[in-house]
Amino acid sequence: MVLAAEYLVIHQTPHRGARKRKDYVEPIIATRGLKKTYRFGKVDVPALRGVDLIVQEGEFVAVVGPSGCGKSTLLHILGGLTGPSDGQVCVDGNDFRLMSDSDRTRFRRHKIGFVFQRFNLLPTLSARDNIAIAQHIQGNGFNPHRFDVITQLLGIGKKLAHRPYALSGGEQQRVAIARAVICEPKILLADEPTGNLDTENSQIVLDMLRELNRTFRQTILMITHNPEAAGVADRIIRMRDGRIISD
Amino acid sequence: MVNKLIFANVMHRPIRTIVSVLAVAIEVAMVILVVGLCHGMVNDSAKRVEGVGADILVRPPGSSFMMGMGEAPMPIKIGDRLAELPRVLAVTPTIVHVNAVQSLDLIYGIDLTSFNAVSGGFVYHSGGPFDSPYDILVDDIYAHSHHSKVGQTINLLNHDFRICGIVEHGKLARRFIPLATLQDLMVAQGKATTFFVKCTDPAYTEQTTDAIKTLLPGYTVLPMKEYMDLMTSNNIPGLNYFITVMIGLAVGIGFLVIFLSMYTTITERTREIGILKSLGASKTYIISVILKEATVLTLIGIVAGIIGSVIMRKFFITLFPTLPVELTWNWRFYAACLAWMGSIVGAFYPALRAARLDPVDALAYE
Repeated sequence: MVLAAEYLVIHQTPHRGARKRKDYVEPIIATRGLKKTYRFGKVDVPALRGVDLIVQEGEFVAVVGPSGCGKSTLLHILGGLTGPSDGQVCVDGNDFRLMSDSDRTRFRRHKIGFVFQRFNLLPTLSARDNIAIAQHIQGNGFNPHRFDVITQLLGIGKKLAHRPYALSGGEQQRVAIARAVICEPKILLADEPTGNLDTENSQIVLDMLRELNRTFRQTILMITHNPEAAGVADRIIRMRDGRIISD
Repeated sequence: MVNKLIFANVMHRPIRTIVSVLAVAIEVAMVILVVGLCHGMVNDSAKRVEGVGADILVRPPGSSFMMGMGEAPMPIKIGDRLAELPRVLAVTPTIVHVNAVQSLDLIYGIDLTSFNAVSGGFVYHSGGPFDSPYDILVDDIYAHSHHSKVGQTINLLNHDFRICGIVEHGKLARRFIPLATLQDLMVAQGKATTFFVKCTDPAYTEQTTDAIKTLLPGYTVLPMKEYMDLMTSNNIPGLNYFITVMIGLAVGIGFLVIFLSMYTTITERTREIGILKSLGASKTYIISVILKEATVLTLIGIVAGIIGSVIMRKFFITLFPTLPVELTWNWRFYAACLAWMGSIVGAFYPALRAARLDPVDALAYE
């Protein structure tokens, strides 16, 4: 397996011969020296101070760390919701340095699925429509087979007509997961998916994520405070003060 | 799917929806009714002049084609000279007084014998012709709106007039008094405002017009067809400006309400916009959702406005039967287009603002 820095050098090299190396596996996520600084008035607040990260396709990675260590910022950058201040980001072969805002939106539409702590379902739509709208935005039309498989897998088949306010927290999060994976994204980015759930529902959601990872070889990057939740992942990355301190 | 989202949003805040729809409905109804009232009054006035049955109007030199404008500067004897012209069947002099007491209308002084010769005579619903100098004829619409009956008195120009007859509407005016009486009251003895000339055959109108112009150089001589062409809101001084200002006000109200409504919606739904952006919705997608929502509100408002204008017209006619309001499909269409354009312009800035929202900030919005 190559390191992030090495991958990015390879990726930038016009001569592609290096890719023929036997030990070379193209990572789905690669960052090098990734920095993000927010500006509040005249004060610069660094959120990421140089993150080097490699994630292979099909991995289930948990990112843990205290509040304010830059976990969510990392997730937002990898999902194309915001751009980096410095450094390199390459996701599924897409170099973010070369992408405009609308390119990143298009990329997110086709390659990324988000799951949030607060579920973030559209309150005026039913569960079914909350899931279907992701397919509509993607533009590939409604895929009934995929829809049935996902809703059955997540156990929400009987709740599809309900609006979010009529669903429990666990059910809402399962609808949010269904929405995130309905378009077969390359990467599922989950931001504290169990943060608003009780133990039982948290376990159900973690089991679902694990199942998705196993069944569809879904790449998952999950942010969590909960060590037990992180234990479900194949790999745990610890962050502190905008840097990765252990992997 | 977008339609579901839009309808769900529209139904989610019923008060906002009702207020927006109501504003657009008022805008549309206001445009239709203001234009309908202006056009209605002009057309009604023109049709009543046409209803006299004359082929040519003769007005003083330099006078307006509008009946209420100008005094009575023409000697009534001109009528005799007009009657002597070949191909002239009858001539009737009239004198007009603009009554601004209680309501704004025109009161005509007519010489009933010659007026009947030109117009073919009144159809009496009740009563009969003038019997004394202070008799008055009213048309059926006036009688209906004022609950007038033959024998009742009307105070006009500080004199009491007895209603001697109620006639079928459609000939020149709603109230007529004897020519000599109005001349006395206006201190215009021997004068007339307008002569109505009837030819032996309408085909002679052009030749007779030329003959009158030769006879009375400088006088305003208008064939009836030309008069009818002139009697449009475009030719009434200030009327078009009035209509334009009223339309501008109505469109402005619609624009502002839709702008505020959509602006509030965007602020309220910041988080939802963030969700759509996290799903990969493009700026165009977000803008189209907002504009489509504004369009739905506007379409409902347009339908409500058109229905409202019909109801308001019936209401007006019941309360003020003499007030003609013409509702035309052309102006319904124009009002709808204006409302829709106003709404789209009003919704565009909020839509653009929504599209430009930072997805991270939007998702964090409480």
